[in-house]
Amino acid sequence: MLNEVASFLNSAVSGCGATAHTPEVGHGHVLVESAHLHACAKALNESDEFDMNVLQVVSGVDYPERIEVNYMLASFTKNTEMILKVKLPKTSPTETVEVDSVVDIWKSANFLERETYDMLGVVFKNHPDHRRILCPEDWEGFPLRKDYVVQKEWEGMEINPAHKVNSGDHFFFKDVIAKMGGDEKKVTYSWKSDAEA
Amino acid sequence: MIEIDGKEIGDLSSFNTEKIKSDLLTLNMGPQHPATHGVLRVEIKTDSEIIAEATPYLGYLHRCFEKHVENVDYRGVIPFVDRMDYLGAMGMEWGYSLTIEKMLGTEVPRRAEYIRVLVAELQRIAGHLLFFGTYAIDLGAFSPFLYAFDEREKILRFFEELSGARLLYNYVWIGGVWNDITDDQLRRIKKFIDNFDEELKVFHSLVGENKIFIERTANVGIVSEEMAYQYGATGPVLRGSGIDWDLRKKRPYGIYEEFDFDVQVGRGEKGTLGDCWDRYDVRVREMHESVKIVRQCLEGIEEGSIMGKVPKVLKVPEGEIYMRTECPRGELGYHLVSDGGKTPYRLKVKSSCFTHVSMLPEMAPGQMVADFVASIGSIDIVLGEVDR
Amino acid sequence: MSGLTPDISEYATRESMVHQEELTFGKWLGNIWKAVSTCFKGMMITGKYIVARKPVTIEYPEVREELPANSRSRLFNDVDNCIACLQCAAACPVDCIYITATRRDKEAPKLKTDDGTPLKLDLKQYTIDTALCCYCGLCTTVCPTECLTHTTDYEFAQYTLGEMKYDYLAEDIRAWKHRVRG
Repeated sequence: MLNEVASFLNSAVSGCGATAHTPEVGHGHVLVESAHLHACAKALNESDEFDMNVLQVVSGVDYPERIEVNYMLASFTKNTEMILKVKLPKTSPTETVEVDSVVDIWKSANFLERETYDMLGVVFKNHPDHRRILCPEDWEGFPLRKDYVVQKEWEGMEINPAHKVNSGDHFFFKDVIAKMGGDEKKVTYSWKSDAEA
Repeated sequence: MIEIDGKEIGDLSSFNTEKIKSDLLTLNMGPQHPATHGVLRVEIKTDSEIIAEATPYLGYLHRCFEKHVENVDYRGVIPFVDRMDYLGAMGMEWGYSLTIEKMLGTEVPRRAEYIRVLVAELQRIAGHLLFFGTYAIDLGAFSPFLYAFDEREKILRFFEELSGARLLYNYVWIGGVWNDITDDQLRRIKKFIDNFDEELKVFHSLVGENKIFIERTANVGIVSEEMAYQYGATGPVLRGSGIDWDLRKKRPYGIYEEFDFDVQVGRGEKGTLGDCWDRYDVRVREMHESVKIVRQCLEGIEEGSIMGKVPKVLKVPEGEIYMRTECPRGELGYHLVSDGGKTPYRLKVKSSCFTHVSMLPEMAPGQMVADFVASIGSIDIVLGEVDR
Repeated sequence: MSGLTPDISEYATRESMVHQEELTFGKWLGNIWKAVSTCFKGMMITGKYIVARKPVTIEYPEVREELPANSRSRLFNDVDNCIACLQCAAACPVDCIYITATRRDKEAPKLKTDDGTPLKLDLKQYTIDTALCCYCGLCTTVCPTECLTHTTDYEFAQYTLGEMKYDYLAEDIRAWKHRVRG
């Protein structure tokens, strides 16, 4: 089915560069150029052949060089589903990337795109209400990026304060190693983190 | 001349009242509000009693579990997915296990499949009973809540014996289920189910046929077919709008294709199709269907092992998958991206409650505040799943 | 003063107002009859519950409920049988188990667990931070000597966070062994 969707998109939207990918494991997807995403989505929604009338979820995935945004489309009349994917290259970790919003095609995209913006820093152009949704409005950074570091303070409140975390016993193994004459091979311990107390 | 308390305050005859526009009153409903079923804040702008605008604010229960599971091995994710929809945890676990099994190509033993259907349908009954009870409370009836919780308690007690926990079971594992079910337990479920069918009819006549309840819910919070598609509604909300769509029938997973049951859709019996009463009615009739499935399960359950062959160190092959299952509150989808390691590279959850909350701004305008409470109750959201 | 009354058509039309049919006297009487009769029916059901149903709740501090045998409540580790394999700590999704063990001297007397596994390590620390624990039960399923188990105790509230930390090598917790293991 993905091949048919790709050829349909190539004929309906010129220059969208739709390609179908069908891997051996898991589900395949149709990749389109990010500039033509809105046109492709509109074509899929309006075509009688595919009739993708439901946008189920917008799922962003962060990679070192790019952010992929997946649109899980489904047709409840034809009982089909597919993944429409765009790749948005990014050069620096903090940079936001841009893609067209599809709110005017599916209204469910409103909250879903806001969530993707909140979590991954994908800016959706022409979105009617482009705000953060799950994090506070003045939160810094995008939590689901791989290189995200949580901020130290928010509105005068310390984040993860020490008195709220039980500690002390985590590094008991260090005392034991010292007692054993510094021979680490004689001691086994469960603490995995490199973080210091 | 207009006089107040004997004093002349002037002539208002030249005053153009047409130009006076009453200001909208901003009212915060929640986060701590019993009718929002959790920590949902809805900022409503009301004109006297009528709502002009409603904006939901989410995130009060946000844990960012999607980030957390990127550092947890595949088996350790199950306790986290439990905590999304804590009232339908069996469905959450099954959806996740199904996603991983599909990637690994694991075959699940028949007995485990039967147990999964059994617990998922009992969970659906428990979830809908909770909806039934709390919805009655939202609309001002208290005793149905107690009766529903009495029945729900029996299911939870059974789950506790089976898995060890009352809400967060960690029971459906990748490749099978944790504990085997005993014949004695099956006998007790049968006894419960036989009794429950009758009990449910009593419940329905207590609440669903009550004139006051019908007046409060019929023609309120209408979700049209077009709107349901536009907002990606699923589960009882979609079926309440008269759309015959149930994943268990349309895209069967597990062994659902072997079971004989009907998909219940809204009929618009008491008012317009897709109103609050239809959604309530669909859920009640779905409980009867679940009873049917549980009965067939008890008859057909097979002997055998309960755990398929799963490697001890789980490594999911590279690739991506999007799997969805029918949970009590709607479809639950898992988008898993694996890089071939021991932990998920990305696990995105499609939460039905999240999409249902996005319908509120369109449902609210023109409603009375009390009707808005009925609308929120009828879409049956669990904030653990909305915020994740 | 028509301008002061809110004009609801500005936002949307209230569904129930639109769909309301014309109310005749007969319909009005019918509505009242329906309301009274269905409410009476509901009261009958509630009455039946009052008379025929036994209470399902228990009076908690006086009457205590016995949880099912495989209920997942407070964790107990029988340190005499623990071989410090660290599997529980690896399986824990919230990393709340802290174990430290040293290699046993070759000259020391040989020890075995109850199921015959030789002890090669001396356990120096076995602590579970129950304030972090999510009671998922994954640690007990991987335990090879079955020394780590869930008990059915459910009353273990504490005043401070530090008290939520259980040091299973301490004498008072070791003393649970006879109660838990029977």
